[in-house]
Order: sequence, then structure tokens, then C-alpha cells
Amino acid sequence: MSAALIHPILDLPTCVLVEDSDEDADTVAEALRRCGIPGRLQRVTNGDDCLTLLRGAGATQPPALVLMDLSTPGTDGRDALRQIKEDSKLKCIPVVITSASANPRDLEFCYTAGANAYHVKPVSHPHHLAEMTQVLQYWLGAVRRPAYRMPTA
Amino acid sequence: MTGDVSEARLPWEGQAYSAMRFGATITNCDSEPVQTPGCIQGHGALLVLRADNLTVAQVSDNSGALLGHPPETLLGQPVSRVLGEARAEELHAFLAREPVDRNPLYVLTHQGHNGAALDVTVHTIDGVVIVEFESTAHTTADGHDYFTLIKQSVHRLQSASSLQALGDAATAEIRALTGLDRVMVYKFHDDGHGEVVAESRRPDLSSWLGLHYPAQDIPEPAREVFRRTWIRPLREVGAPMSELVPLAHPDTGRPLTMTHCALRGPSVMYTEYLQNMGVTAGLTLSIRHGEQLWGLIAGHHYSGAFDLPYNMRAACELMAQIVSLQHKAAEDRDYLSHQLRFDEVRQLLVTQAANEGGLPAMVDGELTLLDALDAQGAALFHQERWWRVGQTPHDDELDTIADWLIERPEFASSAEPVFVTDALGTLMPCSPELSAVAAGLLALPLSKRGKNLIFWFRPEMLRSVEWGGNPHDKPMVPGPNGLRLTPRRSFELFSDSVRGHSLPWQQWEIELALRFRLVVMQLVISRAEQLTELNLNLARSNDDLDAFAYVASHDLKEPLRGMHKYAHQLADSAALADPLDAQRVEGLIRLTLRMDSLLDSLLHFSRVGRVALELEDVDLDELVHEALEMVVARRGEKPNEVIVAPQLPHMRADRVRLREVFVNLLSNAFKYNEKPTARIEIGWYPPHSVDRKPHWPQDVIQHPIFFVKDNGIGIEARHVEQVYKMFKRLHGRDEYGGGTGAGLTIVKKLLERHGGTVWFDSEPGVGSTFYISLGAQ
Repeated sequence: MSAALIHPILDLPTCVLVEDSDEDADTVAEALRRCGIPGRLQRVTNGDDCLTLLRGAGATQPPALVLMDLSTPGTDGRDALRQIKEDSKLKCIPVVITSASANPRDLEFCYTAGANAYHVKPVSHPHHLAEMTQVLQYWLGAVRRPAYRMPTA
Repeated sequence: MTGDVSEARLPWEGQAYSAMRFGATITNCDSEPVQTPGCIQGHGALLVLRADNLTVAQVSDNSGALLGHPPETLLGQPVSRVLGEARAEELHAFLAREPVDRNPLYVLTHQGHNGAALDVTVHTIDGVVIVEFESTAHTTADGHDYFTLIKQSVHRLQSASSLQALGDAATAEIRALTGLDRVMVYKFHDDGHGEVVAESRRPDLSSWLGLHYPAQDIPEPAREVFRRTWIRPLREVGAPMSELVPLAHPDTGRPLTMTHCALRGPSVMYTEYLQNMGVTAGLTLSIRHGEQLWGLIAGHHYSGAFDLPYNMRAACELMAQIVSLQHKAAEDRDYLSHQLRFDEVRQLLVTQAANEGGLPAMVDGELTLLDALDAQGAALFHQERWWRVGQTPHDDELDTIADWLIERPEFASSAEPVFVTDALGTLMPCSPELSAVAAGLLALPLSKRGKNLIFWFRPEMLRSVEWGGNPHDKPMVPGPNGLRLTPRRSFELFSDSVRGHSLPWQQWEIELALRFRLVVMQLVISRAEQLTELNLNLARSNDDLDAFAYVASHDLKEPLRGMHKYAHQLADSAALADPLDAQRVEGLIRLTLRMDSLLDSLLHFSRVGRVALELEDVDLDELVHEALEMVVARRGEKPNEVIVAPQLPHMRADRVRLREVFVNLLSNAFKYNEKPTARIEIGWYPPHSVDRKPHWPQDVIQHPIFFVKDNGIGIEARHVEQVYKMFKRLHGRDEYGGGTGAGLTIVKKLLERHGGTVWFDSEPGVGSTFYISLGAQ
């Protein structure tokens, strides 16, 4: 997992999706298609892979967004979030949590750990799709990112 | 003694006293010179000799009849005039040889007038020799071997294992030895009043065991005599007395001290007292702890004169001394076994409290505080209320006592934080009733601060013990010397002096109470620790439950979302040519959404019961309008008419949750409504402003009641119970806008968390009124 996170030529903004559910990943992919912003989606299924990807050799530019499910196998989203936000090289990367859990403790934990937003995934597919579309439009399109390159390993 | 002697001149002041000439009254009996009565019992004769030459200085005026020499023929003469030369020599030698000072000893038997045999005993006091002559008829006739008898008695006394057993043995032995009708052990309490603690009596006599007698019944001079002598015999109550000639010693002018004389004339008080009780002869022995007079052994006879010859007296005296010696040891043993018993009770009480719900078990358990200490009432302040057992003051009086006590310095003592009184009424303002029930108070603080207290109460002793000499039916009879000591008179005086006083708390009882306090405090602390641990466990299991609920809903929703999505994709795809399939897929989508809301409700409900309420002052006007906005926005499509009563009150509640209650009720009111215009009324009843209907919960009208009234479909009576059941819907799941069926369950739970409740009146087709109460504020 040492691929560059940014398309070398097109310089497209990249969204790293940490999601073990294929259905939810599919919904996010569809949302990306619908949102009207040309971007890349790089999916991993657990926190470890996410961290490896972000810290990976050859990563020269950070992703525009990490979209993270909380309960992934292995290193879960909470742990991965904490590690990203404690890592001086990674903590600028926006991390948006998506979770089925509305547990106030999860919310508190995530925001305290530095999450940039927290979304509860609705069961209703249209709602879910609409919400993910909005998220991607916002983070990939509306916001400005620092002109910043990740130090090469 | 309550009489003020100093105010009145004593009748005998300035002259030699004679019991025959001057009486005593109840007010001056403490001044009666009982040790120098100037008279002897008339059945014997007495000579007072000068110690140096044994010449007669004083003589009883019956010497002519008993000794054959009238007083005028003896005064100034040597004793040989009565005894003869040889016997006088014998007496002289005896005096030189034997320890007779204040110790009457038998010397010889004298042939008196008309040849009657007389026992002669002699002792010295204050430089004079007192020679007493008594008939020996009974001594020689009964032929008892007193030595053998007393040996057996002593053995029986020594084997007594307790104070009671010792008293029982002493009374039985002395009665057997003497043949008196009744022998009692009479114990002096700290305040001087007496109690019959052991008794042996002729079977036909009524028992006096357990009776208490006023202190005045045995005046101080009589007590003083018993500190000096072991025995006081009285052969016949009211028998003629014989006066000394002259009354005062001719050389010194002093009256004769007759403390140790067997023939000493009885005090006027004593005689009269015994006569009042029908006693015809008496024998009194003292029981002492060293110098201290612990009590008396009193013998009564009811059938005429009773001879107590010298050797019988000596035997009795020995018994009294043995009882006195044994007595201390027996009392110590009693104290020990008392302690052991109370220690055991204390242990049982604490165990009981530990096993059965804490301190309150000490007043309503099988064993109570009354078993731990000798008291008639006990109270405990714990968990913000009083727990009482036995005869105690009322709660508000207990509060008053507690408030007063907390300021007392006694409680500040770290070594002995205890407050003790046997007359509470003399220390704090008390109603007569209160000072009667709570005359005696022993109070222990259970904590440094606050009024966690244990009280023990003793009523005033006038109520708590049975008094002898309290025959209110007997009139007071003036004696020849004025109003005299009669049982009733003495009782009246006594009751004035002890009104508001309880039996005193003994030092060992106080020590016991302090030990009890330590154990109770340990219990309190260990229960507090248990409680902390329980709370920790509870918090932990609450956390676990919480986590479980979230994980469950999260994990259940994950696949649900997948199912829903596929159903959606199926519905979107053109592949479903068959309209029936399209319907089925629609159904699938609906079901997944319903499952989603059920999971949300379940999660919500699981939190409603556990999350801490945040109570604050809530303006119900504001809150109801917020709720309406939330609901009307949702239900805005339907024409409706909403009336809110003006000026709803402020209540103490959790704002968010109470709003949820109203949102639920209002949304139901809108939802279950088929009328063209939904009419909803929100109002309230102040406490006691509405009559409680039979099906309403108890006591709800004591607090404000809020209601939400609608003109909706109503609820059938048979569904009353089901309304509040989780996920129980009364209608088809898609009728009336669906819903999970958790709304009223949550409303009920939320109100119960506030200490309140929810109920309703309803008529199908007409409408429902839901009432809510937040309980006591």
C-alpha cells in the first residue's frame, strides 16, 4: 500500500474511505459520482491499512479527506482517528467519522480526539446517499486545503 | 429529707433527749437522735458503769423489777451491788482481757430478780462500760447449736453464683435460723430510695419483692447507725420502754451513745413505721461495701414479740458480715455476666442490622435497642427520619431534643461522646408529659455532624417502678406527736422530690452504650462502603448496558442498512416488471425503515431509565410552547385548534425530558384523531383543586396535575393496561401514521423517573385526556 494518494497528473483530490461494509462503500462511491467533483476514492477496510496508507512511502501529498467508519475490524476507527490526530505529520488531514452509532460517548470521544465531523449513517438509503453526497461536495469541493505536501519518507 | 430543720426549733433542743418524751415528725426525723434515744426496750435492763472503778453512773428505770435494785439504790454504787463480788471480779477481768470497745460480748449469765436467768453482755464506748441484761429463757431452752447451723448457712451463702442467688440464700438462711415471718434484702439505689431485691416469707404473706420505697422510709440517722453496727433487734414493736436514770451522764452531761446496744430503744419513726405495716417485731442487719451502706437485711415478724437472744443475734451478725463480704464479689460477677449478655445482644443486634436492611432493623427487628440497654423507649435518627420503639416522645419532640443536644459540649468529646441525664426536664424546657416519658435520656451521636443519633429513654421512676407504701386509699393519721410518718405521707414527700427523675444510668451502662456506639458506627461505615461498592457496580453495569444497547443497535443497523439499500436498488431498477414484485420490494423498504425506528426507540428507552435527570426550574408555559412547535411542525398539515391554559406554573424537572413527555402526548393527540379539526387543550390543576376519580392513582391531587385533552379516537377501556407496553400498538402498524409504540412507554418511564406518573380518562370516539403528575417537588 505505497501508492501515491494523489493522481500524479490530474492532481485530483483524493478521499480515503475506511469502511469494511461493501454496501456502505458502494454508497460512498455512488455519492462521489453524484457530487459532481472529480475525485478519487481510495478504500481500505480497517484502521491499520489506513495508517499504513497515510504514512506510506511515496505519499507526497495528503488526501483531501479521510472518511472513516468507527467500527472496522482490527484497529478500529477510534484508534486510527486518535493516531492520525496525534501524528504531527497527519493531523491536518480532515477526518470525517461515519458511524451507525449515535452513542454520545462516541461523539464526545471523536470530537475530543480531533475529528472534523461526525455523521450517523441513516438506514434509509436515499438519506444515506444524500448525506454522503453532501459530505463529499463540502470536503472535496467547498473547503480550501492547505498548500501542503506530505514529507516523503 | 425535704423538711427544713433549721427553721423550726427541735422540741428536745437544750435538754437530754428521750424517745419516750419527744417524738419525731416527718420533717425533723433526719434530726432524731436515734443513737442516743435515752431509752431501752423494756424487756431488758442496762447499767452504765464508769470505766475506772465500775461504779454505776446511769441505770434503766426498770432495774428494780428485773435486777431487784431500783435505780436510786444503784447510782454511784459499784457494780458488785448487782452482780455480787465474784461476778464483778469476773466482769473486771473480762473487760481487761477482751476487745469489747464498741463490740458487745457475752460475759456471764446472771441470776436476776426472782431467780430469772439473764444473759449479760458488755461493751465500752466513749469511756463508759455498758452492761446489758436480757432474759436467757429462749437461749437455754432451744439448745440450737448455732455454730453448726451457721457453718451450713455460710456454705450455702458462699455457693451462691449471683447477687440474686446470694440474696435468696441470705433471706432463706436467716429466716430458717431465726424463724421470723419475713426476711428481705433491701437495696439502696444511688438516690437513696430502696428496693426489695430478695425475700423469704411465710407462705401466707403477700410478696413485697420488687417494691420500691422512698428514701425517707429510712432516715439518714438510721442509715448512720447501720454504718456503725451490724444489727438492730426490736423484740416487740410498741412495747413499753425504759428510760435511763439520769438521762445524761452525771459526770459529762452527755447522753449515752447506744449505737451498739442490743436493747437500744427504737426510734419513734421506726416504731410508727413498723406499726403502720402491722409489724410486731423486727430485726435489721446491714449489708456494707466497706464503709458504704449498700442495703439492709430486714426481718419482720407479725405475731407478737420475738425474742432474739444473744447467740442468735451473734449468728445473724456473722451472716450479715458474710453477706457483705460475698456481696461485692457477687455484684462483680453479676456485672460481668450482665456485660457478657449485653455484649452478646449488641453483637446480635448489629448482625441483625447488617443482614436486614441496616439500622432501622434495630427498632423493628426481632431484637431491638431496648434489648441492648435497660430502657423503656429508644429512638434512632437515620435516613432523615426517626425510628422509634417502646415509650418515646413524638417525632417533633425528638427533633427538639436532638436540636438541643447537638449544641451540648458532651457530644464534642471524642473519648466519650455521650449525653446522660436522669432528669431531662431540669436541663431543657419540657412539657410535663415529655419529662415524664423522657426523664432519663442516654444519647449517642453516630456521626460528627448532622443529627444521626441514638436515644434511650427511661420514664420518671414514679411511673416505672412499683412503689411500696403508696396506699392512696389510706388516710393520713396524726400520731400523738403531730402529723407523723405514715407510708402515704412519706410517699407524697418523696414523689415531689423525684418527680421528673428516672432511675439513674449506671456507669457500666454508659460504658456499654459507648461500646455499642463504636460497633454501630463500624456498621454504618461498612454499609456506606458497601453502598459505594454497589453504586460502583451499578454504574459499571449501567455502562455495560449502555454499551450493549449501542453496540446492539449499531451492529443490527449495519446489515439493515445493507438490506434497505439493496431493496432500494431493486426498486429503482427497471427489472421489476411485475407490479407485484415492485410492491414486495416497497414492503421490504418499509419494513427495514420500521426496524430502524424500533431499534432507535429501544435504544432511547434503555437510556431513559438510566441517564441521570438534570433537574432545574422549568417554566411550563415556555416548555409547552416549544413542544407544540415541534409537534405542529410535524402535524401542520391538518386543521387544528390548540388551547393552552394561561400561566402554567414553574416546576422542578428535567427540561429536555419533560418536553419529550409533552411532545409525545401532543403528537399522539394529533395523530390519533379523525375529526375534521383536531381540538387539543393543554391545562393544569393546582393541588387539591380537582376531585380524584376512582381510577386515578392515589394521592395525585396533592400535587399539580397537567393534562393534554383531545377530541381524538379515544382508547377503549380494555386497552388501559396495554397502552404503556413497549412496542404495543393498539392499531395497525401503518394506521395513524405508524409509530413504534414506544411513546407512552417512554412518557411513563420519564415521569416515573421524576417521581410522578401518567394516567388518562378516555371515551372511544369522543376523545382522551392524558394527565401527568411530577410527584412531590
